[in-house]
This record gives sequence, C-alpha cells and structure tokens, in this order.
Amino acid sequence: MSKVKTHKVIGFRSTRLAIIFFVFILLLSMKFGPYNQFQLANIATLLIAVLSITLLTGASGQISLGQGAIMAVGGYSAALLVTRLEISMWLAFVLAIFVSALFGLFLGLAAARLSGPYLAGTTLVMALAIPSIAIRFDSFFSGDIGFSVDYGYPPDWLTNLLGEITIEEWSLYVALPFAALSLFAVLNLSNTRSGRTWRAVRDNEVAASLAGINIARTKIIVFVCSSALAGLAGAIYGFRGLVAPSVYPTDLSLLLLTAAVIGGLRSIGGAIFGTFVIVFLPDVIERVTKFLELPETISIYLPALMIGLLLLLTVILNPRGSAGALEHIRHRHKH
Amino acid sequence: MLKVANLVTEFASIKALNDISFQAKPGRITTVIGANGAGKSTLLRTISGLERPTSGSIKWFDEELTDKSVEAIVRSGVAQVPEGHAVISQLSVAENIELGGLFRKRQARGDLEIATKEVYELFPILFERRREPAGSLSGGERQMLAISRALVARPKLLLLDEPSLGLAPLISAQIISIVDQLCKSTGLTVLLVEQNANTALAVADHGILLALGKVVADLPAKELIADSALRAAYLGY
Amino acid sequence: MNSFLTAFFAGTSQGAIYALVSLGLVLVWRGAGVVNFAQMGQAMFTTYIASQLIQNEYSYWSAFVIALISGALLGALVDLGIMRPLSSRKNSQLLNSQSMRTTVPVIASLGILGVLKALAGIFWAGEERGFPAPVPTTGLRLGNSDLAITGFDLFVIGVVFLALVLTTIFFTRTGMGLAMRASALNPEVTRLSGIRVGSVRTLSWAISGTASSLAGLLVTPKTNLSPNTLDLLLIIGFTAAVVGGLTSLAGSVLGGFILGYVIAFVNVYSAPENVFLAILIFLLLALFLRPQGILGSKEVRRV
Ligand SMILES: Nc1ncnc2c1ncn2[C@@H]1O[C@H](COP(=O)(O)OP(=O)(O)OP(=O)(O)O)[C@@H](O)[C@H]1O
Ligand SMILES: [Mg+2]
Repeated sequence: MSKVKTHKVIGFRSTRLAIIFFVFILLLSMKFGPYNQFQLANIATLLIAVLSITLLTGASGQISLGQGAIMAVGGYSAALLVTRLEISMWLAFVLAIFVSALFGLFLGLAAARLSGPYLAGTTLVMALAIPSIAIRFDSFFSGDIGFSVDYGYPPDWLTNLLGEITIEEWSLYVALPFAALSLFAVLNLSNTRSGRTWRAVRDNEVAASLAGINIARTKIIVFVCSSALAGLAGAIYGFRGLVAPSVYPTDLSLLLLTAAVIGGLRSIGGAIFGTFVIVFLPDVIERVTKFLELPETISIYLPALMIGLLLLLTVILNPRGSAGALEHIRHRHKH
Repeated sequence: MLKVANLVTEFASIKALNDISFQAKPGRITTVIGANGAGKSTLLRTISGLERPTSGSIKWFDEELTDKSVEAIVRSGVAQVPEGHAVISQLSVAENIELGGLFRKRQARGDLEIATKEVYELFPILFERRREPAGSLSGGERQMLAISRALVARPKLLLLDEPSLGLAPLISAQIISIVDQLCKSTGLTVLLVEQNANTALAVADHGILLALGKVVADLPAKELIADSALRAAYLGY
Repeated sequence: MNSFLTAFFAGTSQGAIYALVSLGLVLVWRGAGVVNFAQMGQAMFTTYIASQLIQNEYSYWSAFVIALISGALLGALVDLGIMRPLSSRKNSQLLNSQSMRTTVPVIASLGILGVLKALAGIFWAGEERGFPAPVPTTGLRLGNSDLAITGFDLFVIGVVFLALVLTTIFFTRTGMGLAMRASALNPEVTRLSGIRVGSVRTLSWAISGTASSLAGLLVTPKTNLSPNTLDLLLIIGFTAAVVGGLTSLAGSVLGGFILGYVIAFVNVYSAPENVFLAILIFLLLALFLRPQGILGSKEVRRV
C-alpha cells in the first residue's frame, strides 16, 4: 500500500471524527441550561490544551507540567494585542498561536537536551515562574489585576440566522470551532509520517537515532506544535473574562495533565473523555456532598482528592488510561 | 549435584534456551561451549535467577531454584560472575569485595574476614590496589576482582561467564588454573562458559556444546576436545 | 556590609534546608530512578502531624521525632504501595517505551501529591497556621550590636550539619550504605551479591522521606504551614539537585547551599518578587552550561 493512499484515508477519517465531535457538542448544548452550556464551552477550550499534552506526551513520551504557563503566554499575547493594538479578537487568537509556537521553539531548544524527569521539573518551575513575570513587570502586564477581555457580541449574520444568542451559547460557538479544528489537526498529525517518527523517538531514542531520525529536531517540532495548541487554548480560556496570573495557576497545568492521563496519554478519544471528567467531576461531587450533607471542610477538598485518586488509580490499574481499558475489554470480547 | 531438566527460556520472540537438560558433577568443572548467541549466558542467567524460565527445572541438590529470587539463590550458595568483567567501577576494589560478602556479615563475620584474606592471597595485585576505584583496574584485574566478589560469598556452585573474554591467553590460563585449584582444594562445583574451548576443556571433567539453545553434545571433556568434526561443525575451528 | 551579612546568614540557613530537600530528591532518583514530586507533600503531611501533636500538648521534641519517623514510614509506604507495583508491571505496553518508564512514576508522584494535599485540607481545615521553633527566632545580640543571625538560624544550621554528618557516615562506613550505593550504581551485580535490592530501594525512599520531613519541620517556623506552603521548596530543591548534579549526593548538598545564597541575595539586593524568575533563569543556565551538574558524572546522565 502506498504512503499517499494511507494518508488520504486517514485525512478522511479525521475530518469525519472532528465533525462528529462538533455536532455532538452542539446537540448536547441544546439539551443543556446556560450553566452547562458554559461548561461545554470550557470543555471545548480545555480539550485543546489537553490535546496539546496528548500530542506531547503520547506521541513523543515527553512530559510537561507547565502547559498552563504556555496557556498564559497565549492568553497574554492575545489580551495585549486586543487591548493595546485594538485588533480583532479572531486575529489576536491566530497571532497568539504564533507567539506561543515561538515560545515553544525556545522551550524545545532547551527540552531537546532534557529527558523525562529533568523536563518535568523544568516545566514545573516554569509553571510557577511565568505567571510571576506578569507581576514583576506590572506596568506592561498590569500585575495581579490583569486584563478584562471577553468574546464580545455575536455578529449580526449569526443572530439573524439563529435568533437570540445568550452569552453562554456565544462562548461555546467561539470555542467549539477551534476545538474541532485542533482535533482534526492532532488526528492528522499523529497518523502521518512525522507522527510515526515521534513515536519511534518515544519508544526508543537510540534505535530511532540509528534509524536516521534527528532526535533533537523531532523533539523541538513536537514542542512547537504542542505549544501552539496550548497557547490557542490559553487565549480562548482567558477571553472568558480575565487574563491574569490567577487564571493560569500551577494547578491548571496539573489538572490538564490529569485529564490527559485519565483518558490515556496516547488516545485522542481518551483526551475528550478526560476533559469531560475534569470539567464535570466537581459539579457531580458538589451534588453528592449536598445530598449527603457533608461538612464544608470535606466538600472543598473532595474534588482535588478525587482527581488525585483518579490519577493514581489510572497509573496503577491501567497506565494507558480509560482508552486502554476499553481496548482491553473489546479485546477480551473477541476471544 | 546440579540437575537441569527440560529448561526453556524465551525472550519476546525467540527461544534462547530450547529444552535443555544436563547434569554437573559436584566438585568438578563442567565447561559449556558454543558459538555467539548459542544461549550460554542465558543458561547461566537462568540458573542464577536473573532470567525466568518458561518451563523446566533447575535442581541444586534437593533445592528447586526456578521459583526462587536471585537474592535467595545467591544466599543458598550459588554465585555468578557475569559476562564482561562485571564489577562496580565507581566503588573501590575493597568495597567490591566487601559487597560480595555483605549478606553474611552478621552471621559469619569471622569467616568473612578469612575469606577476604584468602582472595587477597589468591590475587595479591588486588590487595595492593584495594583503595583504588575498580574502574582503574586493567581487564584482567577486573576479572580477578569479579571472581573475588563471588568467592567471598563462599559459594558451593560458581557460574563463570567467559572469564577469558578480552584477556591475553597467559592471563586467562592463569585465571582458569586458579579456578581449577579452588575446585580441587575446596570441593567447589563450577559451570564454566567459554568461547575458546581448549583451555577451558583441559581442566574440565565434562563438556557441553550448545547451539541455538539446544544441547548438541554432552561428553567427557577429553572426548569433546578430540572430536574435531563436531567442533568444526558448530564452532568453526 | 550589614545587608551582605544578613543575606549571607539567611542564605546559609535557608541553603541548609534546600540541601536536605535536594538530598532527598537525589536519594530517590539514584536509588529508584524516580524524581519524587510528592516529596514535599509528604513533608507537609508529617509537619501537620507534628503540629497536631504539639496542639495536643506533646513536647516539641517528641513531636519532632514522631514527624521524622512518620516521614520514613510514609516514604516506605509510597514505594511499597505504589512505586514498586508500578515498576514490576514490565509487560505493560506503556512502560515498554523508554521515555514512559521515567514519565509514569512522575505522574504517579503527582497523584500522590494531590491526594496528600487534599487529605491535609480535609483533616486540618487547610487554613494557614504557625509552627513553633524550639529556640527564639529573633536576632541575636552581642554586647550592644545586633547580629544578622537568629538563634533559630543557628539551630537550623546545626541540625542540618548533624544530619549531613550522619548521612555521610551511613553511606561511607556501614554495610547498608555500601549496599545502597552499589544498588544505585549497578543493580544486577548487587543482586548477584545476594543483596535484596528491593528492600534497599525502599530504604532509600524512607531516608529521603526523613530528610524532607526534617526540612518541613525546619522551614515552617518561618513560612507557616498550609497544604501548599512547601511546593516552593520542592521547586527550589529540584533546581538545587540539577545544579549540583542529579546523580551526586555531595553535589545535591552543594546545590542546596548555592540556591540558598542565590535566593537570599536576590531577596536582599533585588526584590522578593524576582525570586521565581531568578530560579527559572538559574535552572535554565545550569541546564545549558553544565547539564550534568557541578558534581554529576557525565556518562550517567542520558540526555
Ligand atoms: N534480554 C534479552 N532480550 C532478548 N533477547 C535476548 C536477551 N538476552 C539474550 N537474548 C538472545 O538470546 C540468544 C542467546 O543469547 P546469549 O547471550 O545467551 O548467547 P551467548 O551464547 O552467551 O553468546 P555470546 O557468546 O555472544 O556471549 C541470542 O539470540 C540473544 O540475542
Ligand atoms: Mg554470553
């Protein structure tokens, strides 16, 4: 079978999957009230960030604990462009992708020299240090207060088409196309030749380099792609209302990693599942604690406890996440 | 007496040991020869517990070794000197030797001191260089150190994997003759793996020829030395 | 001059604490091949235990000792309960790939960190509380002049010095110390010497847990105690470990003191809000200029 042919088939498949995701979320939003519509918008936004981890860790084996910091880079770039230069939000989003890709390039130059634990630690330091830059240079980045930015109003042609659009619906309509596009891009990337190259590096660096793969360059490219996605997610995430250090805390980086791990670091379907879990789990837990009338001290920390436990259980029971577990079950049924 | 029966050890796709059976007499040297990749190291590693066999049994007198951990096997008197002068180069010579006897430091401190003295008498060069890092030793000295590390454990069965690898013929002959003397004086049982068959078979009681994970000859050492047709077919010389 | 001395003494006593943290990280990295991001979560937890005991009218010293013992137990528990089962899953497909073998324990340690923080929040309400010091934390006076060092600073330096001496004796003079060094350097030869490498590994987790627990007890009189207070210490300790060489125990201690001085001087001569940035820049510089660290050996660090 020729390479070109495989590529076409896969291109078709990823288009179909991205469209299915798009339509599915839209249909779901019609059943939901405003609050859950807003949560769906969060899912679409965070999915992009989780995909950036799936791409990075799942395809190359590298781990970043600082995706939240890269989101901050994207968020601040877009916010600065909109407030200082008064360009349109859409253009700012696209430019934010470029800025964060450039940032990813620098990060990749450092990361190319680092393996597993070094990279994890370095990105964790970064996750703490980057938001503090905003406070350090507060005349430029406006410190703790940050920038108030939002999605603005839906354009007339859309209101003419759909009738009245609420704020929650509009934030979903902004985030969803980007999410579907990112899904399409990641699905395509991981199935092309470069995707296979990345996985070769992940599985065995020595063997990959003997096979003529340039390890350093491969790692840098993966970082650039992943940072571009994270930056986009950060821009959309910030434009929900505020771009400030408190919007991109270290916990956000860890939460995103959790979503990617729960779903299965190698699976894109798993990334979607993991994102649903981290967004909706706190709501579910809140209902349960209200129902059981648990004291406040417990209910505050219960989501964090559940997420930590989920992370641990996933790694211990099935390091390939829920996607791996599903595959396992399917496999058993066949026999 | 070491009894290996129907031993199979597999790696992902290949059977490195494919139904191996043989016996090694106590107090004697049994030499295992074979071409590269025949499965000699895998055999020793399976006996010492570093590799888990898929099936078969390894009996050292009445003890079944296949379901024991490496540490337990070593503690029951089986010591292995792995392929390639395996010493810990960042530790000093004395520390490498101490390491070998560490597990019986509590029960047999006195004997440990005697054993240490003995290996230093066996290899005086090691005593001279005892404070230097093992990494600074020559290949031959490292092999002596690796053997010393095994000997201070007072093993009853010694597994030697290509002790002459990369050594000048004179030194490897010297090492093998020291092993031979140990056998005769202490009743040590030795399983000696070698590529270069002649010196190793000269001191051996018995010879086993491995090819592609199977025993193709199991003869008294003298007959194996004499059988040039067999050697030519499997070893190429 | 006076501000120089202030920075120097603060750097020494803080550096001593960072040295403990970085020593703990290096012990587990060398002994088990895991960078334990939960380390200071464990320390936070044991410091809460000490704080609880002191609240219940136990003496400072009994709480101190119990915290150190719980540090050792918690460290051993993390290894036995989570890390060992993980590393024995050899046939798991994810762990077959080279890079994932180091990544998966990192993820597990983050999970442990999350769980410990949430549990501390649930048990101890999560609000910031003070933690006592056994000696005054005010500046010492000599005759009429104020010295730039506090009694507590001296206490910290003394305790850490003692801990480092004990650790050195343990590693260089005892059989167990030799077994630990050997199994970190070459597990196969060590197993062939009849040493239970698994137990040795658990021991390195326990010692690391004790060291970081001590760091927690020494740092909280100044920083107060909350589920998140020790996060910063982990970051600093990691940077110190990388600066000193992730594979060298002596290097990790050296790195801790270097970081102590860097941070103290940035604090005194620049501004506290520059500290994070200084750490990041320092870490990146170290990685670019000397990736194997000051005392780390080149061949051990696979890039
Ligand atoms: N860990 C392993 N994983 C996969 N295959 C292995 C492994 N160890 C050995 N093998 C394979 O098992 C076979 C036997 O190897 P072994 O090392 O036992 O040979 P040998 O007789 O000692 O060779 P040599 O004389 O070169 O040392 C070889 O084909 C080798 O490639
Ligand atoms: Mg061999």
